[in-house]
Amino acid sequence: MVENARSINIVATLILLIGIVYIVGPLYLTLTTASHSYEFMLQNGLTWSFGGDLLVNIKRIFTETSIPVQMINSLIVAIGDAVTTCVLSFLSAYAIVYFRVRWASVVFALILATVILPLDMRFVTTYQVASNVFSPLNAVLDVTGLNDLITSVFGAPFHAEWSILNTHVGLVVPLLAHGMGTFLFRQFFLTLPKDLFKAARMDGAGPIRFMFDILLPLSRTTFASLFVLSFLSGWTQYLWPLVASSTAEMQTAVVGLARLVPDEGAVPDYPLIMAGAILVSIVPLTMIALLQRYLVQGLVLSEK
Amino acid sequence: MNAIDPAIHIAAANIRLDGVSKSYGAVNIIPKLDVEFRAGEFTVVLGPSGCGKSTLMQMIAGLERVSGGKIVIGDREVQDLEPRERGCAMVFQNYALYPHMTVFNNIAYSLKIAGLTKPERQARVDVVAKMLGLTDYLGRKPGQLSGGQRQRVAIGRAIVREPAVLLFDEPLSNLDAQLRHDTRIELADLHKRIGATTVFVTHDQVEAMTLADRILILNKGEVEQYDTPKAIYHSPASIFVAKFIGSPPMNILPVIGDGSMLRLSDGQPVAECHLKGDFQLGIRPEDVLFDTAGNASALKAHVRYREDLGSHSILAADLSGNTVRITTPFGSQAPDRNALLLTCPTQKLHLFDGVTGKAIPSAFAATTKVMK
Repeated sequence: MVENARSINIVATLILLIGIVYIVGPLYLTLTTASHSYEFMLQNGLTWSFGGDLLVNIKRIFTETSIPVQMINSLIVAIGDAVTTCVLSFLSAYAIVYFRVRWASVVFALILATVILPLDMRFVTTYQVASNVFSPLNAVLDVTGLNDLITSVFGAPFHAEWSILNTHVGLVVPLLAHGMGTFLFRQFFLTLPKDLFKAARMDGAGPIRFMFDILLPLSRTTFASLFVLSFLSGWTQYLWPLVASSTAEMQTAVVGLARLVPDEGAVPDYPLIMAGAILVSIVPLTMIALLQRYLVQGLVLSEK
Repeated sequence: MNAIDPAIHIAAANIRLDGVSKSYGAVNIIPKLDVEFRAGEFTVVLGPSGCGKSTLMQMIAGLERVSGGKIVIGDREVQDLEPRERGCAMVFQNYALYPHMTVFNNIAYSLKIAGLTKPERQARVDVVAKMLGLTDYLGRKPGQLSGGQRQRVAIGRAIVREPAVLLFDEPLSNLDAQLRHDTRIELADLHKRIGATTVFVTHDQVEAMTLADRILILNKGEVEQYDTPKAIYHSPASIFVAKFIGSPPMNILPVIGDGSMLRLSDGQPVAECHLKGDFQLGIRPEDVLFDTAGNASALKAHVRYREDLGSHSILAADLSGNTVRITTPFGSQAPDRNALLLTCPTQKLHLFDGVTGKAIPSAFAATTKVMK
């Protein structure tokens, strides 16, 4: 391998070039398409040259579509997902690593199991629960026969209903159920000096104080990594927001983009859609540009 | 400067363990321990790994709950108190400094929690930093310090609270040999100056011998011996202690007593003794002498190998099938490698019970008191 470095280099460069074209080509086409008018596109198809209608198309996104509202929805979902995932993961990893929890390893294994059971695999059940949050409780009461008891005492069986479909909460909560963040924090905590907790106790710091004074400041990088990862995954969610939201005002931007394609056979307004796609990508792109370091750290950590 | 008294004031307290036990489920780490650490003394708890010494320390500190018994510090029963209420401070093996805090904040953290004002904290930290030579490093973070400096920060963090009891959990084991030696001297000096009751856990016998006012030797959670370093070296209470202290360790030879004489397994007589039965005989390597006068009672051995250590040599000899180590001055030649004649002064011999391994103190006493 080493003696052939030159030819290997050429081959490697070629492969990379092909990869770049493969990735950048469609992006370039997105830009050019977004810069033409609908009429121009109908006559000429997709072209590689730039037109002058980019700002017009972006303006049309604001005036003719729900994408701006939907971007706010996306922001709520992405930030809600990222913040809640960070908090929950931090707390659960804290409990698992620093406290002698009975069955801690079993709990951790169950949390990890959610990684191999992603949302897409438990889609139908998740939808059922989201359509009525109390349905598991109702089912348990029915199966155990407790409802018969309740009927005999109160005259009617217990039956509660609360649908979180088509709400922001409903969009976010099912996304939270994955253990990657807990794993990330756990791995990080295990790299810290193991007597830190004891030292803090000797200094008079209780568990809450230790968490705020010691663990939280030390975990800043891990927080940033997990935040970026969850934000991006929240922003790009498609299937769940598509199913869980029924009105345009509640849909996320990615779903809204797909909805710009008309259902009947007309030629879609590609310039408009591409302008929307550019707009929708700006937020995650900025995120990646600013916090790239943490993104890489998070990916490396989660693969260990 | 005089507004706040800048000295570190420590009121040393004694620690009494009354029937303290510790078990994790079915595993009994410490069966039942009754020990008193005297006020102001430097006590080293010594034992092999897994003997329960760290557990013992953590129970005193309050980081582990006792399974039974009482711990009394000063005149307070503390076994149910939180660590911060016990008046103990601890230095950990890996220092356990807060990586994101400066040296100042590391040392001042406990004072902050205790609610001291900023000028008070400043004054106390300044004194401690001066005492430990850390004044120039107060603004740095632990990651920017050397091992020895981190060690001193850890000590500073412990003494800044003026604890009645200072606990050390193998604090020198992460340092290199030279630094370990220097820190040992600093620790001894520090103890003299602040006078806190100090409990120091280690498995290093040199640390124990040099630092301790009193050594507690633990084996499987039980006290083997609790005495001054001198007494432990010169009259070990059991084979375990005899072999644990001293380098090279004490030679232990199986002997048989016939009522008038102790004999090695090949029949050579070693010493006069009135005891009968199987025993273990101990002699320190430096107490084995070459017999040059040609005594008939000299023990016959032959040299296996020798190790020259510069200051002295260690000679390994075969005596009735057992290896006996002998320390000799450097460069001295054994009179005859294959027919070595050895003598062991009777007053330097230690006799241990063949079954229990406990020392039999008056074995070679002139009085013929019947044992057991």
